[in-house]
Amino acid sequence: MQTFRFVTVMSFPRKRESREIFGFRVALCFPGMTSGSPIRMIICMGLCVLLLAAGCGRQQQQSHPLPASLTLAVGGENPEGYDPTLGWGSYGNPLFHSTLLRRDADLNIVPDLATTWQLAADRLTWTVTIRPDVVFADGSPLTARDVAYTFNTAAVAGGVLDLANLEKAEALDDITVQLRLKQPDITFIHYLITLGIVPERLHGPGYGRRPVGSGPYKLVRWDEGQQMVVEANPYYYGVQPAIKRLIFLFSGEDAALAAARAGKVDVLSVPSSLATREIPGMKLHVVKSVDNRGLMFPCLPDTGAKTPHGLAVGNDVTADVAIRRAVNLTINRQALVNGVLEGFGRPAYGPVDDLPWDNPAIRFKDNDTEKAGILLTEAGWLDVDGDGVREKDGIKAEFPIVYNATDSLRQGLALAVSDMLRPVGIRAVPRGENWDRIKNELVHSTVVVFGFGGHSPLEMYKLFHSPGPEPSYWNGGFYTNGVVDGYLDQARAAASFADSIPLWQKAQWDGQTGFAVAGDAPWAWLVNLNHTYFINQCLDVGRSQMEPHGHGWPITANINEWQWTCE
Amino acid sequence: MHLHLTKFLLTKTLRLVLLVAAVASLSFVLVSRSPIDPVDAYVGAAIMKISPEQREMIRERWGLDQPPLARFARWAAQLARGDLGVSTIFNEPVTSVIAKRFITSLWLMALAWSFSGLLGFVLGLIAGAREDSPADRLIRLYAYTMAATPTFWVGMMLLMVFSVYLGWTPVCCAWPPGLSIEQATLGQRLHHLLLPALTLSLIGVAQITLHTRQKTVEAMHSDYAIFARAQGESTLGIVCRQVLRNVALPAVTLQFASLGELFGGAVLAEQVFSYPGLGRATVEAGIRGDVPLLLGIVLFSTVFVFTGNTVADLLYRLVDPRMGEGQGGTA
Repeated sequence: MQTFRFVTVMSFPRKRESREIFGFRVALCFPGMTSGSPIRMIICMGLCVLLLAAGCGRQQQQSHPLPASLTLAVGGENPEGYDPTLGWGSYGNPLFHSTLLRRDADLNIVPDLATTWQLAADRLTWTVTIRPDVVFADGSPLTARDVAYTFNTAAVAGGVLDLANLEKAEALDDITVQLRLKQPDITFIHYLITLGIVPERLHGPGYGRRPVGSGPYKLVRWDEGQQMVVEANPYYYGVQPAIKRLIFLFSGEDAALAAARAGKVDVLSVPSSLATREIPGMKLHVVKSVDNRGLMFPCLPDTGAKTPHGLAVGNDVTADVAIRRAVNLTINRQALVNGVLEGFGRPAYGPVDDLPWDNPAIRFKDNDTEKAGILLTEAGWLDVDGDGVREKDGIKAEFPIVYNATDSLRQGLALAVSDMLRPVGIRAVPRGENWDRIKNELVHSTVVVFGFGGHSPLEMYKLFHSPGPEPSYWNGGFYTNGVVDGYLDQARAAASFADSIPLWQKAQWDGQTGFAVAGDAPWAWLVNLNHTYFINQCLDVGRSQMEPHGHGWPITANINEWQWTCE
Repeated sequence: MHLHLTKFLLTKTLRLVLLVAAVASLSFVLVSRSPIDPVDAYVGAAIMKISPEQREMIRERWGLDQPPLARFARWAAQLARGDLGVSTIFNEPVTSVIAKRFITSLWLMALAWSFSGLLGFVLGLIAGAREDSPADRLIRLYAYTMAATPTFWVGMMLLMVFSVYLGWTPVCCAWPPGLSIEQATLGQRLHHLLLPALTLSLIGVAQITLHTRQKTVEAMHSDYAIFARAQGESTLGIVCRQVLRNVALPAVTLQFASLGELFGGAVLAEQVFSYPGLGRATVEAGIRGDVPLLLGIVLFSTVFVFTGNTVADLLYRLVDPRMGEGQGGTA
């Protein structure tokens, strides 16, 4: 008796293992067959199935020696699914979906689904006609009702799209849709460019896990946390992509790099610090971006004032425009690009460098310690006690530069800027913090390294328009200039996007004032990053758009133009 | 015997319910005190495009607009109906997130668990039977080293040597990229499992080895072992006939009780090997403040570990007749 029980114990773990490993496999193939069947039979069947599968799998691999598909490690996993109404595609492109308008390689606005688009004289009503021949990837037609549904749903979905200004979207007939706004706002056009249209019939809970759209590709499978396989959508109305099958890897950065070294990846996004390495069989592809980094200055003096949530506001040193301008003039931006970005970037003079609404007149000569010194002396900042730091009215020209401690790039910038400022008698102390502390304590009272950069001038509005009482990151420095506010408000209320551009430019510098360095200098913009990718030597990715903040997925913006160049 | 068993199971069930209630309340308090703002984590880079009103809308969608106590009450009521709520980062029911991820983790844990159990037991027996021999010292050295080594470090070392330098094993994922789970062969899946499972087992081995060794040493010095030796029995004979039986029971108990550590180790190993199981979902839920998912996983792991311990207790009773009949129902 005892012996028998003993044997049971000894064999128990092994039996369990068999059932868990093999039984599970069978359960996958034939749901419902495991319960009640004799264990041995299940194991046998499992083994048979596995052996068959093993045979098939191997054969299949051998029959495709040429790269039938393209493997990308550029991120792009959206854990909540691929639902544009919750915000999928607002960075880069929605891939599975098409949008009314889009931006071409030079960021001009061009039609996509739309054939005409017009803003009425009241500047509140957009009337858009769409192509009549478009169908979704399941073959069902895309009508104006789907467009109206998409906009109305996105407005109330509670995702990362802010469509609060939309009063209502309405389909007038099969191909005409009317979008009514609550207030005039030309930046609303950004949603016509980024919001992918979903089919009303198929949309609902769970849509994000089985998206159906009218974009160049359709989702075939998504193994969460691991990979996504997409194939060309045969119903796509635009140019059929040359590469029919894409595999997106969602492993971590290190795993992706190792996979690229093993020749398993064709497109890999890498931080600039790794871009100087060599990967056999791959070439470096550098994309210009408006992904910028800069220092935000608190522009108010510290009077002990606090926001409603109790955050301290103001800094006595940076409240002086002479300090802010001197910092801007002293910094050697090209040296930052060479030293911190390994050369992969360009100096930043404003938040929107080289975008259509950039004002070229705001450029200035930096690395000018002499001019900075004169400026500071004239403003009354003098080093009286000879400790190398200037003072004025008993206050030392000293402030911390706070950066997100996990970001080595921002750390590098903060350290380098601190070194550059020492010779002119400004003491900047770099300090790493976490975002929670920055957001909940420091943002309005210390200099913070921020990164922005988007394809909509709305961002500029948020950064420089007079803030509300609790701005958080929206103009956290409490910068206020009535003239700038006027230009920004007029630009938003403009009758067309083209009309708004001169106004956006004037807000930066109108010859008298503005938020540029010659004006109030509420920021010291430092660098624009270049986004670096390793791509297969045999791959032509065409001309990439200037990318927004966010490195990786945006490279897919023109993916239907990509081609293999070797045979 | 049956009456005892029923009573035993009832007590256990009651304890489980109490445990789950306690763990649920405690974890809820902890995560609601977390400084992470889930809305911030969700919005990410889109922060400049999101107005305060939109943030309120997101909070409403997730039910975060209500005070913590009301949230807990609602969540507990849902829980009583077997509904764990909806994960905020995955935007799908927590139960389906856990189900999907746990299936992947199960492969890893089952392989590591059986491997570490068998290897640990055998090593422990060898070390204990030949106390202070070179083999014993070697095994002890190994066990102490492994017991003092963090899982993620071992994982990274193995990854560097076998995946990056030698290229023998894959660097990520649960099966080869581009294939579907149906297309992936068992060989391929095991190949991808090898390193993570090895990492988990190498560490798990230490505890069971040392424990078994200690018990074996005790048994080798016991009266019955000495008596057997006096009768001319060889060391191998003593181990097989006398020691094994006495040592197996504590080893099995320990192995089942180690499910908690296995779970914890899997979190780290999956992180290192980009293995898309429950461990990685846990980390994501933590750093992005997904309260329903985090609580769901905590409860799930509680039940998982509790079941392991209960199985160990049950085995004790089934295997050792002295425990089931001699004493009362409470163990």
